Amino acid sequence: MSSLLGRILGLAFIDAIALTFGYGLAGGGLALGAVVLGVVTVVINVAFLTDRLMPIRWISPGLLLLTMMVVYPLLYTVYIAFTNYGQGHVLAKEQVIARLESQTYSDAAFSWRAYRSESGQFLLWLTDPDGGEFLGDAQTGTINPVDRADPRFGAIDPADNLPTTVDDFQKLARLGVFPYLTALERVRLQGEIDGTPAEIRIESIDDAVLGQQKFTYDAARDVLVDNETGTEYISREGFFVTPEGTRAPGPGFSTFIGPDNFVRVLTDSRIQGPFFGVFIWTFAFAALTVVFAFAVGLGLALVLNDKQLPAKGIFRTLAIIPYTIPGFISALVWVGLLNPLYGPVNGIIEDVIGTSPRWFQDGTLAKVALLTINTWLGYPYMLLVSLGALQSIPSEIYEAAHIDGASPFQRFRTITFPLLLVALAPLLIGAFAFNFNNFTLIELVTEGGPPTPGSQTPAGQTDILISYSYRLAFAGGRGQDYALAAAISIVIFLIVAAITLFNFRLSKRVEALV
Amino acid sequence: MWVDETRAPIMTQLGAEFETATGQPVAVYQVGFGDIRDRLQLYGPTGEGPDIIIGAHDWLGQLATNGLVEPLDLSGVSANVDPVALGAFTYDAGGGAEVYGLPYAAEAIALYYNTELVPTPPATWDELIQIATDLQADESLGLEQAFVLQEKDPYHSYPILTANGGYIFGENADGTYNPEDVGLDSPGGLAYGQMLDQMVKNGLLRAGVTYDTMISLFNAGDSAMFMTGPWALAGDTGIRAGGQPFAVAPIPAGTQDARPFVGVQGFMVSAFAPNKLLAETFLNEYVATDETMQALFDADPRPSTWTPVADQIDDEDVQAFIASAANADPLPAIPEMSAVWTDWTDALDLIFTQAQEPDAALEDASESIRALIADSQ
Repeated sequence: MSSLLGRILGLAFIDAIALTFGYGLAGGGLALGAVVLGVVTVVINVAFLTDRLMPIRWISPGLLLLTMMVVYPLLYTVYIAFTNYGQGHVLAKEQVIARLESQTYSDAAFSWRAYRSESGQFLLWLTDPDGGEFLGDAQTGTINPVDRADPRFGAIDPADNLPTTVDDFQKLARLGVFPYLTALERVRLQGEIDGTPAEIRIESIDDAVLGQQKFTYDAARDVLVDNETGTEYISREGFFVTPEGTRAPGPGFSTFIGPDNFVRVLTDSRIQGPFFGVFIWTFAFAALTVVFAFAVGLGLALVLNDKQLPAKGIFRTLAIIPYTIPGFISALVWVGLLNPLYGPVNGIIEDVIGTSPRWFQDGTLAKVALLTINTWLGYPYMLLVSLGALQSIPSEIYEAAHIDGASPFQRFRTITFPLLLVALAPLLIGAFAFNFNNFTLIELVTEGGPPTPGSQTPAGQTDILISYSYRLAFAGGRGQDYALAAAISIVIFLIVAAITLFNFRLSKRVEALV
Repeated sequence: MWVDETRAPIMTQLGAEFETATGQPVAVYQVGFGDIRDRLQLYGPTGEGPDIIIGAHDWLGQLATNGLVEPLDLSGVSANVDPVALGAFTYDAGGGAEVYGLPYAAEAIALYYNTELVPTPPATWDELIQIATDLQADESLGLEQAFVLQEKDPYHSYPILTANGGYIFGENADGTYNPEDVGLDSPGGLAYGQMLDQMVKNGLLRAGVTYDTMISLFNAGDSAMFMTGPWALAGDTGIRAGGQPFAVAPIPAGTQDARPFVGVQGFMVSAFAPNKLLAETFLNEYVATDETMQALFDADPRPSTWTPVADQIDDEDVQAFIASAANADPLPAIPEMSAVWTDWTDALDLIFTQAQEPDAALEDASESIRALIADSQ
């Protein structure tokens, strides 16, 4: 019983948190997120209240995080890829309509002063340029000409010739009106222009205007009507346009446009042209990084695993230190070390071979520099996992091999390496997939450069797919194109997924051989 | 309101004064200058953004096009605002040109020179090249590089482009930029490329020089001239702290006067501001005053765009920058500008590293920019 009570209390706590978040998500316009959160919460509740679903209980927190941090962003990316979200199309359609509907035309100007009652109600005293005076009631929205003999008026203020009070409403001094500006800004008074109804609204601290609504949106027909000219705008590709193609003023909105972005990725010559070269380098970068880092890491692991090596602890610590420094600091330090004028590494190279290599100005050298830096960043991880895996190989096998007269190299080639590979293959594949999208390193070290001479696309010689698509989507013709970026990243995801799948198949075959 | 760390103390104090006078509190949040634009785009439409932000005028291409900032009525105070700065904050987002910001500072680059090594500042690029060649030839001085230009940096090289008669975007009859007319490979643009190419070939310019290198070379007495803006004056690593005798001069002319880019900073009101009217009134009545503008200038000596403050500046260096900004082109705010930077930077890189002939590099860059812009129409 007590366990059930505990469970119910725990669930109540989780549900309360989920409800708070869900409410926030729904309120922030992320209804999809709220739905996903709701479904996951229900699953957790069912799992904890049904004894049969015991095993699911303990993975449900992981499930929740997986959904929030992985599945939801993924679905959102897919959704964005089918819209035109980007420069010029940032706002939702409703927001654009609200902005357009707040515009007025044929404005007549008034000056205004406000009166406020104790209970927080307002009257507005309006004076038109001809000296005509009106009193508007902010609560009812009505407006009436002023009769100076009105018995409600109190003493006349000599400074502006207005009464200081109207009934129990006090005139607000110019400074005194500031705290109420936001409330007064929303006040609409009903007036008329030549017999047609119009609205009076406050436009600045001194002025109010009488005008008519410029645009009205007809939701049933999905048409925006210009009330001044009678022009009708239909909504097309994230803009309100006339059938002839003239755009209504104001920003565009984000809308569903179907597979256009994917069509662009597959057909645009700017994306297609350098694609092959970039793809080859991306593949080489990821594969060579893994090979070099693994070679260095495994080599060090073999040395550090040798029983004859003294002070093993110190060496292991030293070898793992690069792992404890944040990668982007190391990357920037390396950029400094390799600076052709001031870099110490370059200084040494210059002393030895007499010339200082310009690492980041030559495509091949830049690639060598990148691989060197990435090997430095990646080997400690390989060292750690290799050390662990080496110790899990039973020593009897080595003893047997020793008795059979196998040389150290034979022992490594036929025992250590295959057994290690079985254990480490998934990690190597993971490292490959990670480096395939290693945007941070490329951006920090070379920013994709050096540029390709004679190229008319922004692809640099060290750009990998992800950094190249960043350049396409965010340094594009008109600024950020989030939707295109989403589409490209989905295509890259498919490529990485295919390669990873292939790798897994391959490594399974290797395992079967062993 | 969202302001950066330099402006935050002033605005906090002004907000307190405003509250005492009117009873209306003002909340000031400190946001890194570079983050303000993207955060407004993120938070504005959700209704959780600020009423007022500070920002640069060239953000308007993004902010106004996307409908994120509100046009302002500054008619009451505009007489005291530098017209170049006000013009920079005027933008046409499809419904006619409107003013979107109250400017407080404008800055353009000028020529810093070491008064001991260069007694008279060069008036033309020919003179500058001559001086630089002579200084570098004099081995007793041991100069690393007489004239330093930050590499791969379109911004710092733009006055050389204009001095040669080149341009980025041509202008329409009404003074707005025409994104279909890219001028990097116009005759003036090509002359600019050849000039840089010659300077590299003669050892006057070289690759691998970052902004920091440029400043430290000058402070160490290893260079005699360089170009940058007023921001390099102050600070621990600034030119004033560096201890070299220096002065600031206009950028030398070529076949035409050199016009650098001018960047204008100002206050803008979010289109999703919950207190729009209050925000606009606050800017008009409390920020657009001699006292506030003076305080903003004192906190950060960037040339003020508030004429009563600017007229009283007696600092010669800052005056030189004001003169430079008066003869400058506003950084184009149109969204198409974002297509220009990458290719232009690449072209400069190729010229500095001698990987490609200057004409070809600039022609390729221009073709790429045209294709990008045509693509996005």
